[in-house]
Amino acid sequence: MKSLDPRVRRLPPAVELNQTLPKSPLDQFVTFEVFVQPKDGKPFEHEGIVHAPNLEMAYVLAKEAFTRRFDCVSMYVVESGKVNVSPLTEGDTNAYDLIEDVPGQAGEKESYEIYHLAKRGKQHVHAGSVQACLPREAMTIAKQKWYPGKGVCNIWAIRTADIRFTSPEEKDLWLTLPDKKFRDAAEYKGGEKLKSFLEAKGQQNLNHH
Amino acid sequence: MYGGGNTFESVKTDSIAQEDPIQLGLFEARIERGEKIEPTDWMPQLYRKQLIRMIEQHAHSEIIGALPEGTWITRAPGFKRKMALMAKVQDEVGHAQLLYSAAETLGKPRQKMIEDLINGKSKYSNVFNYPTFTWADCCFISWLVDAGAIVNQLANAKGSYGPYCRALERICAEESFHLKYGHHCVIYLAAGSAKQRQMFQEAINRWWPPMMHFFGPSDKISTHTQVLMKWKVKMGTNDDMRNQFLDMYVPKIWELGFTIPDPNLIKNQETARWNYTEPDWEEFKRVINGDGPCNKERLEVRRIAEERGLWVREALKSPKAEYVLPLA
Repeated sequence: MKSLDPRVRRLPPAVELNQTLPKSPLDQFVTFEVFVQPKDGKPFEHEGIVHAPNLEMAYVLAKEAFTRRFDCVSMYVVESGKVNVSPLTEGDTNAYDLIEDVPGQAGEKESYEIYHLAKRGKQHVHAGSVQACLPREAMTIAKQKWYPGKGVCNIWAIRTADIRFTSPEEKDLWLTLPDKKFRDAAEYKGGEKLKSFLEAKGQQNLNHH
Repeated sequence: MYGGGNTFESVKTDSIAQEDPIQLGLFEARIERGEKIEPTDWMPQLYRKQLIRMIEQHAHSEIIGALPEGTWITRAPGFKRKMALMAKVQDEVGHAQLLYSAAETLGKPRQKMIEDLINGKSKYSNVFNYPTFTWADCCFISWLVDAGAIVNQLANAKGSYGPYCRALERICAEESFHLKYGHHCVIYLAAGSAKQRQMFQEAINRWWPPMMHFFGPSDKISTHTQVLMKWKVKMGTNDDMRNQFLDMYVPKIWELGFTIPDPNLIKNQETARWNYTEPDWEEFKRVINGDGPCNKERLEVRRIAEERGLWVREALKSPKAEYVLPLA
């Protein structure tokens, strides 16, 4: 193929794999939810999703997709299907009003991370963690802790054990972020160059007349 | 990067009559109050369909938009420009990922979107079907096509669908570097040698018609989209967006001593609108429908990438994986 794109010119034609491989019902990877902590002391916030074959790959891909540009000190990922979601409310209704209280369960408690959506269209933000045996119990305990408090229109409860966290030794992943000045709008100051160019142009025009 | 044009073909509003009137009333009241719609909310079929179409096209535009610039990375003048261009192209591909995810919350699988791009069923911004012959073409895209995209994206970020707004906020924050970088490149060409100035002038001459097409057909011939405006899917008319772009960037192009190949381009001081020669909308339609200088090549690059990666994805796929819609 005649092309300006080196990728097209350089590579031999791909094998026609489409014809040999039948499609499975699920022809894409599952998704993982990504949470980022922008600064020490600030809560983790939901940033978006990545598609990945497993939790570990999700972590690697999330680092590229979500923490390339802006401040980040820590990040974690969890499979979308492992997030327990409350009903979504509108207007002034608090999502905790719709949580049915579950009596305290007997048995070994586990840790759950609780996320709040304060306003539709915003990000889910980490509120804290609670100890519970079941996701629904975790929501009940969260209600005791944060209700009535500030308005919440959606709650997520994620079993802490399902999360792929950043380990202390991985924290250096983001140490070089501030050095990548070539990604910073403030590094492209054309003002001086433009000014001297315009002055020279003005001078030329004067000479012309 | 993204062109707002051509997104909405004829909207058949008949389906609205079949929607549950109570649900529809609640939905419209929520938008009226300025509250965002989230994935689990009830929404009219037409709203879902048009949003999928719009966000998907936006995603395709990002991923295809990376190609005309990407091919210049190895030839960008100097180490700094290479680093910046590489970062910019990486951002564009990242934006595609964010947007595919936002569209996916509405129920269309990402893989299906990629297939529809390759088989030509879904469209992307027309502007990327034109070739970048010189470094100056690449600078034109970085500065002015990105500028046009930002005009569209800032408007759309005020729309009603939560996941799209969140993606756009992030994208706009990243685009500010693209715009400053692009302007920086052009200032250096303008202040450079006669040859460099000529190179950028030629780039403007080549790119002006596609740039005018970028915002989509004129309101005079464009489909009526009142219901989409009411639902805050479409946030401004094509001509409004075009006018806003001309207002912000024509003075900056003229400031650098370049000309724009349209003798009728002038701002009407009374109406505060720009007069211009109506772009050739027949060409626009022709190129959208596949007959542009680079359509085949752009899709070929995507097809090759898709086919080459297939065995990796197949090998990594887990039979135990259970797909659920992404949450936000």
